[in-house]
Amino acid sequence: MAPCNFWGKLVTVAGFEADDTLEQDAQLVQHCLQGDGSAWEELVRRHTRRIFNICYRFTGNGTEAEDLSQDVFLRVYKTLGSYRSAHGGFATWMTSVTRNLLIDHYRRTKRDRITDSLEDAMPVVENKESAGRRPDQQLLLGELSSQVQTALTKLSPELREAVILRDLQQLEYNEIRQALDVPEGTVKSRINRGRIELARILQQMGVRPS
Amino acid sequence: MTPMNWTCEHIEARLSDYIDGLLSPDERHAFDMHANTCENCSQMVASISHLVSDLHSIEQIETPPRLVYAILNQTLGPRAAKAGWQASFGWLRGLASARFAYYGVSVAATLLILLMASGISLRKPKLADLAPGNVYRNIDGQAHRAYAHTAKFVSDLRVVYEIQSRLNKDNELPTAPESTVPQSSPGKNPGSTDGSKPATPRQQNRANGIGRELEILATEVPVVSGQLCGRLLGRRIP
Repeated sequence: MAPCNFWGKLVTVAGFEADDTLEQDAQLVQHCLQGDGSAWEELVRRHTRRIFNICYRFTGNGTEAEDLSQDVFLRVYKTLGSYRSAHGGFATWMTSVTRNLLIDHYRRTKRDRITDSLEDAMPVVENKESAGRRPDQQLLLGELSSQVQTALTKLSPELREAVILRDLQQLEYNEIRQALDVPEGTVKSRINRGRIELARILQQMGVRPS
Repeated sequence: MTPMNWTCEHIEARLSDYIDGLLSPDERHAFDMHANTCENCSQMVASISHLVSDLHSIEQIETPPRLVYAILNQTLGPRAAKAGWQASFGWLRGLASARFAYYGVSVAATLLILLMASGISLRKPKLADLAPGNVYRNIDGQAHRAYAHTAKFVSDLRVVYEIQSRLNKDNELPTAPESTVPQSSPGKNPGSTDGSKPATPRQQNRANGIGRELEILATEVPVVSGQLCGRLLGRRIP
């Protein structure tokens, strides 16, 4: 099997990842499977920022995002042999692993969030949440980014992940469909509902679009 | 669904398709037809379009530096420390940063200014220039020369302005604003200098003002002003 032809076909089918990135990732994965530690190091460096951003946007917490990012890479490292390039690019596969871990994490911490949401219902605490973000986080995010982050955490996990992948990670619909493993119609519907809901939440927070 | 009868529900359901350019030409036409005539829908379209634009403009968050190492430690295990000459020169990697370059340039510029101020010649450096006594004498000499040049420059300026004012008087072409100033304060004589024919008040004030500023400049930055004066006058420092 000629790798170039194969990856070319894959890009045509998937239609979202650049040729170079796909090919480089595929070669690195092959080297990793042959026991090349430097290839794994390169893969980690290439994808850490993207995975960390997805985790941070989903959880809204830097420490949790770091822990989850480590979990994602640990799981990817252990299950690298099960990755089938025919099913999509490595980045999409990693996004799918990330998404599954985030949903697991969401379910595990649901009880804590129920308590939080009861507290959020109180207006005083509502103000505290938006104003109480640590100064270093405000610096990290910027004003708009910080407001969006606050609003994102109020979305349901299905709508939140759809908006994060589409509008913050700027993935194509096809990529999101593969990462979430749902039909494209569902992806479209979630993105649409997520955007409308996010705009409504931001409006309630008094944030006007630029 | 015919292209002409889209409702608000249709608009809301296909809003993201519209923004992401996924509607067919007919569907887009029907969307526009309704959105352009319905105030609520047009507001919603504008609001979501701006939101999407804002979201796309948000930059990715920087990864904490320790994260990559934590991941590599968890997966590959703690890496062995580099041995030999690589370990000895490992600290040099940190010098190749923009911040360090900025600090380096700042320090170099400061040293250059100090060297120039202490009178050390960069073209013909001599070990004797670094002796404390010589450094003091050089700085002292620079300061005095700068003061002398500044005083001379101010004096020259005053002479030029006085000559200019006399020529103006002789030509009997006083400008209207200048003639009004002395009349408003007849008891004072701001233009007089050393008993000679007074210059016009405005010219004299300008000359005095420039003189004062240069004296202050010479006091505060003797080296720079000394060099500046030297260049302006085109003369060698004695």
